This record gives sequence, structure tokens and C-alpha cells, in this order.
Amino acid sequence: MTLDPLILVAAGVCLLAGVGLYGLLASRNLIKIIVAMQILTKAAVLALVAAGAASGKINLSQSLAITVIVVDTVVAAVGLALGVQVRKRFGSLDAANLASLRR
Amino acid sequence: MVPALILLTILFPWAGALLVSITGDNHPRLQHFTAVFFSAVSGVFAVILLLNTLPVWEGIVPAWVATDPYFSIPLGGAFGNVSFMADGLGVYLAAIATVIGSLAILFSVDYMRGEKQLGRYYAYILFFIGAMAGLVLTANMLFLFFFWEITALCSYVLISFNNDDPKAVAGGIKALIITQFGGIGLLLGALLAYTVLGTYEIGVFIEKAPLAIPAFGLSIAAFGFLVAAAAKSAQFPFQTWLPDAMEAPTPVSALIHAATMVNAGVYLLARFYPAFEGVPGWKEAVIAVGVITALLAAFMALVATDLKRVLAYSTVSQLGYMVYGIGVGGIFSSQVHLLSHSVFKALLFLGAGAVIHSVATRDMRAMGGLGKKMPFTRIAFIVGALALAGIPFLNGFWSKEMILESGLVDGPRIAYYLMLFGAGLTAIYTFRMVAMVFFGKPRSELHAHDAGLAMKIALGLLALGACTTWLFTGRFGTLLAGTLPLHSIHYLGVKELAAELFTAKATYLALGVVALGLLLGWQRERLTQLTSLLRIPAGWARDSFGFEWINRGISAAVRRSADGLSYTQSGQLNWNIAGILLGLLILLILTVLGS
Repeated sequence: MTLDPLILVAAGVCLLAGVGLYGLLASRNLIKIIVAMQILTKAAVLALVAAGAASGKINLSQSLAITVIVVDTVVAAVGLALGVQVRKRFGSLDAANLASLRR
Repeated sequence: MVPALILLTILFPWAGALLVSITGDNHPRLQHFTAVFFSAVSGVFAVILLLNTLPVWEGIVPAWVATDPYFSIPLGGAFGNVSFMADGLGVYLAAIATVIGSLAILFSVDYMRGEKQLGRYYAYILFFIGAMAGLVLTANMLFLFFFWEITALCSYVLISFNNDDPKAVAGGIKALIITQFGGIGLLLGALLAYTVLGTYEIGVFIEKAPLAIPAFGLSIAAFGFLVAAAAKSAQFPFQTWLPDAMEAPTPVSALIHAATMVNAGVYLLARFYPAFEGVPGWKEAVIAVGVITALLAAFMALVATDLKRVLAYSTVSQLGYMVYGIGVGGIFSSQVHLLSHSVFKALLFLGAGAVIHSVATRDMRAMGGLGKKMPFTRIAFIVGALALAGIPFLNGFWSKEMILESGLVDGPRIAYYLMLFGAGLTAIYTFRMVAMVFFGKPRSELHAHDAGLAMKIALGLLALGACTTWLFTGRFGTLLAGTLPLHSIHYLGVKELAAELFTAKATYLALGVVALGLLLGWQRERLTQLTSLLRIPAGWARDSFGFEWINRGISAAVRRSADGLSYTQSGQLNWNIAGILLGLLILLILTVLGS
């Protein structure tokens, strides 16, 4: 029995997205949140490449994937810089400390 | 010619608003001048537009007149075209807004002298005038809604003009919330029309709606518009915002809360009457709203002690007459009453403004005997009051009789008698108001002086208007009948009207009721037994018949539920992400189900 490579890729996308979403939901450490976001975007890049391969529009999918990678890098850089500032101000990386809407 | 005039009428005041705010509050003289100049010029444009429209519709077209009063600017996309229509309803209301607007601004030169922040004051009045002209001239329902909301916002800002005063701020917010609520009805009707007809054009809607839109949808639109009109024109059950709006400077009350913006609801009902006339229960609902409002507000005017609140209740009551007039199919008579009312109520408000400016209180119990110190104001005010009471040969007499006559011919008999009773109440509270302010012995030591020159000019012109506007009834009729073929307008010239009114028994009945009202107002001190009998209902009227209680209940309920909902806003990052994911999931499911 041969596996369609697309199904393998789809499973990979689901796995990556699941890990990323779980990380976003469950972790309170800012660094871990940024890492989870990176994993989530990698799932999106993989999905784009696979979609390009499936539909034949490889050029379009690759250029979109590259755009996502570039944007993602910027997001990571800004996020990490914010993390440094948060650590300086609050003394910890716990996202729960950032909630100013307290009752 | 017509497109240019329409655009100038709307954009000229807006340009003035911009200039006044640029001028800055360090140059008050320049600000006064700019405001008066720009409003007066836009008034001239609107009057030219009116005179220009008249011959077109009478079939005599001079060479210099553009024959097509409709024009549109293509905008593309979802909003449709920005289209304007210079027909009878529109041009005369635009003329009222700009002419009375310029008189109110002229009055402000004296009234607001020495005030700080004149820029804000004049800018919003001018912005309002332009928006009001746009509201009545546009032929696109979505833009009608936009202009509608601009006028509501200007009204809010101007009510809260004295923003150090918590009462003024509360009054402004109340007016804003209630009129916004009505705006939803208007938007709902407009969107519904768009989904069925594919256009926002009012003309298309009026022509095709009764046949093209299914009955259920049409009645939603009809009652949505009725809610919008009731909220804007302070009709039952939304009447409570207008008395609280009296915290505004008095020229603003005269312009926005008596002569123009509150008429927008009546305009809306009149404009869309042919489309909704066949909706079952709609006309009855309009009649009921008008009658209930007219009577409730008249009772409240009878017991109020604040001069401006008496006038506000009276405005609500007279608007009830106009709404009733539309409900019984008398579009023409209700529009004539709208014209009369704008003139005499602006006069009354400005007269009250002159008094308040001079004695620095609004409490009528502290006034009395002011007539000797302010003879000019007294004469002008009495002219307005007689017109309000419906005394012959002033404009209020003609229009009120016309409304009562349409009610007698086409409406339910019980509504007619109730409105007749309302006319008597009007006479009583008018007499009481004039007597308490200008006659009798002074009840407290008040330093009073007569109105300044700018005030006198404004008052004099409006008093002249209150004596003469009825002479134009015939021309006004041709204008409306020519432009609104679907409204089935029956109009009469002044002579026929006079002949008809003075031969009808109903007129003498109404006059008798008015005279009885005046007599009761005159002898009210001696009728202590009667007044003590009426003490309990008078208490209800002072408590605004429980409507304030309902308002407070609603606002408390909203506050409580908002308090409860605020627990969902924890500010925790993980919960927010969970919310985003949930939203995404719902969208995904909807997309899958949709396809």
C-alpha cells in the first residue's frame, strides 16, 4: 500500500498546528508563546507549499511562503524584544503579569 | 444651476464651520462675523433654490433654469450614487433650516457675547445647518441615514456645550442614545430596501416598494421608519429626551430642538408616506403616536415651571399634531403646520432666550411683570404665543385648523376630539406661560433689560414671519403637489382655504375650544377647586407619567449586565487566544455549512 505524499504532508501540517496552538493556549512563558507562534507559522508555510504542489501553482505558493517567512522573522524579532522589555520591567516572563484588567 | 445650488447650500455652512474653528477663540468678533456671513449666504442659496424649484414644477421654465432637479455623483461600490433631489419637501425644509439657522446665529451674536469657546459653538451649528440641508435634499437612503446621524451628533455636542455642567452632559448623552436607537430603525429599513430593490434611491423605493417588497418586509421597514421618526421627533414613547435637551444654549434649542432637527422625523414619515400607506396598521399606529404624544406633552407643559421646558413640551405636543396629520393622510396640512411651527416656535424660543439672557434664570416662578422692562420682547413673544394657541390670522391658526380638518374628514372621530381637547390645553398653557413671565407683579428682584440689536432683528423677522407665512399657503401647495405626485396632495389657495375654513362649523368649534382654554388660563387663580381636583394627575404629569422611571430602569439594567459581562474580559493572554480560536472555529463551521 502506497501512501499519497499529500496525506503525509497534511498530517504534518495538523501536527505542527496542533503543537503550536497547544503551546499558545497552555504556556504562560512569553518565550514559549513566541516559539509556539513560530511552530504555528511553520505549519502555515508547509500548508502553502503543499497546496502549491497539489494545484500546480508552485511559483505563487513559493513566493507566498517566502513572504510568510520574512514576516514571521520580523514578528519573532519584535516579540523577543518585547519579551526582553517585559523581563526588565516586571522581573519575570509570565504573561499573566501583563494583564492590567484586574477586578 | 440646481446641482450647484444644492451643493452650495450644503457645503457653504460646512466651509464656514471649518473657517470658524480655524479662526480661533482669540478673535470673537471675527468668529461672530464669519458665522453670520456663512449662514446668511447659505440661506440665500436655499431661498434661490426654492424660488428656482417653484417655476419648474409649475410648468413655467425660464431659460436659465435647469429642468432636471435630480442629479447624482457616481461613487461606485456599495453606497450607490450620492444623489440629490430638489423637490418641494426638500427645498422648503432646506430653506427653513438655513434661514432660521442664520436668524438663530444672528441672535447668538448677542446671546453668546463674552462666552468662551465660540469656535466650538458656531462650528457645530454651521455643521448642523449643512447636514440638515443635506438630510432633506438627498435622494439616497444611505446618505439620508448619514446626514441623520450627523445632525444627531451635532445636537449632542451642542446640548452638552456647557460641559462643566453635569446636567448638560447627561442631557446630551440621553438625546444621543435615544436618537441613535431610532437611527437603527432607519438603517434597517434602508438595508432591507437595498436587499430587495438593489438600490438606495428614495424615488425608486417609493414607487416600487408597495408591489416589489413582500408584505412582511415592507411592514418591518414601515415600523422601523416609524420608530426612527418617533425617536428623532421626540414622539411617544421616546419623548423624554427633548425636555432634557433644554440645557443647550437657547439659540440652539430654537434652531435644533424646535425648528429643524426634530422635524426630521415628520419629514421622514411624510416622504415615505406613499410607500407605507398600504401597510396594515401603520396609519393607525402613526395616528395613535401623534395623539398620545400631543396630549401627554400638553399636560406636562401645563405643570412645568421651567420656561424652556414648557416650550419643549409644547414642541413635542405640536410635533404630535404633525404626526397625527400624516397619519390621517393630510401630508399638505402637516407640512404647512411644520412650516408655521418652525417659525413661531423659533420665535418663542428666541424670545425666551432674550428673557433668560436678561434675568439669568429659567424658572418662571421667579419671573413676572417682565413686560414693562422688556416691551419689544413681550410683543414678539406674544405674537408667537398667539400663533401657538391658534388665534386667527396668525400662521398657527391656519395650519392647526387644516390639520384638525383633515383629521375630521379622514381620521377616526375619537382622535379628532382628543386633538381638539389638545388644542384647548395648548391655549391654557400658552396663556399661563405668557402671564407668568410678562404680566402680574414681579415675584423676585430681577435685573432685566430689553433685547440687544441683533436679538431684536432676529425676533422682529420671525414675528413678521409668524404673521405672514400663511399667505404663501397656495404657492406652497403647488410646489408640493407638483413635485410629489404619489402623495395625493390636495391643496388650496389662501382664498379658497379661508372660504372653506370660515364656513365650516368645525373651525368655530375649534376656536371655541381655544377661547375656552384662554379663559381657563386667565381665570386659573380663581378655579382653585378645579385645580385641587386635578392635583393627582398634575403630579403624574410632573413625574413625566413614569417615563423617566422606565428610562432609569433601562439604564440600570444595561449597567448591571455590562458589569456582569466584564468578567469575560480577564486580560489573560491565554484566554484571549482561546477566544480567537473559538471565533475561527465558528467561522470555519459557517463556511463549511454555507458551501
